[in-house]
Amino acid sequence: MTQSDKPSGDQEDLRLLRESARTLFERAGGSKRARTLRDAGGGWDADMIRKLAEAGVFGVTVPEEDGGLGMGLAAGGVIAEEVGRVIAPEPVVLTVGLSLGLLRRLCPNDARMAQLIGGETVLAVAWQERGPNGGPAEASCRYENGKLTGGKAWVVGAAGAQGFLVVAESDNGPVLVLAEAGADGLSVEERRQADGSAMGELSFSGTPAEELASGGAVQGTLAEAVNDTTALAAAELVGLSERAFEITLEYIKTREQFDKPIGSFQVIQHRAVDLNVMCEVAQSGVREALGLMDGETDPKARARLASRAKARAVTAARKITRDAIQLHGAVGYTDEYDIGLYLNRALVLSAWLGDDAYHRRLWFEAREEEGAAQ
Amino acid sequence: MTDWNAMSDADFRKEVRGFFEAEYPEELRHLPHRPKFAEIEHWHRKLHAKGWVAPAWPAEYGGMGLNAAKLLIFYEEQQRWGVNRGRDMGVQMVGPLIIKFGTPDQKEYWLPRILSCEDIWCQGYSEPGAGSDLANLRTRAESDGDDFVINGQKIWTTMAHDATHIFMLVRTDPDAPKKQQGISFLLAPMDQPGVEVRTITTLSGETEFCEVFFDNARTPRENLVGELNKGWTMAKALLSFERIFIGSPSLAQNALGQLESFARGRGAFDDPVFRDRFAQAALDVEDHAALYARFADQLKRGETLGADVSMLKIWVTECFQRITELMIEAAGPDGGTIGPLQVGNVSVDVLSSFYKARPTTIYGGSNEIQRNILSKAVLGLPG
Ligand SMILES: Cc1cc2nc3c(=O)[nH]c(=O)nc-3n(C[C@H](O)[C@H](O)[C@H](O)COP(=O)(O)OP(=O)(O)OC[C@H]3O[C@@H](n4cnc5c(N)ncnc54)[C@H](O)[C@@H]3O)c2cc1C
Repeated sequence: MTQSDKPSGDQEDLRLLRESARTLFERAGGSKRARTLRDAGGGWDADMIRKLAEAGVFGVTVPEEDGGLGMGLAAGGVIAEEVGRVIAPEPVVLTVGLSLGLLRRLCPNDARMAQLIGGETVLAVAWQERGPNGGPAEASCRYENGKLTGGKAWVVGAAGAQGFLVVAESDNGPVLVLAEAGADGLSVEERRQADGSAMGELSFSGTPAEELASGGAVQGTLAEAVNDTTALAAAELVGLSERAFEITLEYIKTREQFDKPIGSFQVIQHRAVDLNVMCEVAQSGVREALGLMDGETDPKARARLASRAKARAVTAARKITRDAIQLHGAVGYTDEYDIGLYLNRALVLSAWLGDDAYHRRLWFEAREEEGAAQ
Repeated sequence: MTDWNAMSDADFRKEVRGFFEAEYPEELRHLPHRPKFAEIEHWHRKLHAKGWVAPAWPAEYGGMGLNAAKLLIFYEEQQRWGVNRGRDMGVQMVGPLIIKFGTPDQKEYWLPRILSCEDIWCQGYSEPGAGSDLANLRTRAESDGDDFVINGQKIWTTMAHDATHIFMLVRTDPDAPKKQQGISFLLAPMDQPGVEVRTITTLSGETEFCEVFFDNARTPRENLVGELNKGWTMAKALLSFERIFIGSPSLAQNALGQLESFARGRGAFDDPVFRDRFAQAALDVEDHAALYARFADQLKRGETLGADVSMLKIWVTECFQRITELMIEAAGPDGGTIGPLQVGNVSVDVLSSFYKARPTTIYGGSNEIQRNILSKAVLGLPG
């Protein structure tokens, strides 16, 4: 069956959502804001977070009865694309996919839900750990008697978050707990990223934390939230790629050498077409994958779709932002020119939650498993 | 007369699929070569009796009268089941031109003969000096009493050695100010002393296309379709639907299926490098299908497609080639062996798939030409 046989559903809703998100970001200053915030130390803009909250952005996938917009992941993807277009540093994908992805499934009545949806607070999510060789390792961080001991790595948003949602091991199995930023025995090492943001390496020594959920549901929910976030990060990369391509196209139309716009040279034209095609394929593939995730309940099938989306988006974004630098010439290698901001953001988003090779592997393994099960 | 367009997409798909699965001869599925008419004649008779030879033609001319949405489904099912398109240049190319630009007499005479395959057509556009730059064509047609007299040469004419008629672009006014002007669209019988056909053997060893020489060949004046010297614009007007058809995912999807069963049988998936390249190809096909669906939806909404549809052809043909290249790699030491390779209970003709993929980036407007078109018409690049 082809995609075209399916009913098109709420396309109009998505179009309106896209328009309002785009307007919001453009009014706030578009991609210029990203540079300003980076130069100011790599944080985000509290005022912007409030505006995004007013537009309902953070609660986009939260059911209406729990205070959200009750739209699907496809709608989240629309917003993520717009975030990507202006490389907004605000933690939109983090909050929609991870923080609220966990809370809305595990404890929808918790007061923190409303705070996150309302943009009053940002919670970073800490679940991965770093092993002795520097790579990801088995989780060993413990939660006992209300206190955390151990460490967590690759925590996005650690620098500005008011608290940390930590997945830890306890005597009763995995737990989700909340540690306040600045709590006793918590130290945060900030590792600076290519785009000016920071990832946190957390270490806990008897850090007090509040238990929000425990039991078998925690791991499964974490996996689901990570799937959602992976797919949303893919959408963010699609928006980023699109805009990076537009900037490049504009540049090759105006930059003149040999008394002609460089965009009149065939080799440049064909490279531009290849980037454009890559971009369109990524947009269609990623949007389709997110739409299908909305209609899918089987976690394995959803994971496979998320991997499909991220694999495509990373391949496209890497190619587009790198070729964009080449097509700009030396000016593309300067910090002053905006195209580099897109490359740097693509580096960070590609590495986060797995790159294309990683996700192709997951995708293939899931496909094999499905085939074997049939 | 059934109004196919009134059916739901799903019902129509079921109907088409059911017919192909029940009636299409098993031995003709996924034919690795282009058949001569005799080889598929029995299938053509069935299709003709069913009234399904010309899905795109209006019902009044003996077609199915399908709208764009239904047409896509028809072709999807055709390709899915590996149904050979037969000798369809009459149906796909001359018929629509006659329907659009022909006189009532031309319609009455030619159209039924196309449907019944009483006349079998080949396409005489390309010449030795006119490939991508088709408007550079030189074959002349000069008025002589009630006839045109044709002199010149066509080349790459697919299946000309098994055709009764040729439709061609010819130069009728060599003095026109622009080379696109002064070209006419002409029909001519092949069975006459002034026409000589020489087959050309392809890389795969088939005789699939030909050179056609015209030495004072004649065709009656009434075989001019449309206005004199207006052939170029007419021929171009025909291309719009073909552009999505040529970018449809089926060829690549079928090849991927073959690659998978072959590679599995051969144990190629034990190699992580191969696994990754397979995953890349499979995702390339899947995401292409998503883009294709976007254009198909546009057609279904009744919109006309823009030049951007060319990106489908670029992506899918190059992807098709990569898949067949992977087949060769999976074949290892058998990668140069002609004919079907047996693995377990599947047999895959690796070389034939590889060869089949090569010209897809050359014909139908080469991929470089498609990139030229996209860069100007879609990206708005200068020069
Ligand atoms: C299997 C097959 C079947 C065919 N069947 C028919 C048929 O039935 N009837 C018919 O009339 N024709 C047929 N053709 C011919 C086909 O239409 C031509 O091959 C096509 O138009 C390209 O022309 P050419 O082969 O002369 O290549 P050229 O035009 O000489 O091109 C050679 C190379 O140069 C590139 N190139 C050319 N111009 C440019 C440019 N401006 N910018 C960048 N690159 C450029 C091309 O992309 C190509 O890579 C068939 C071809 C094949 C392969």
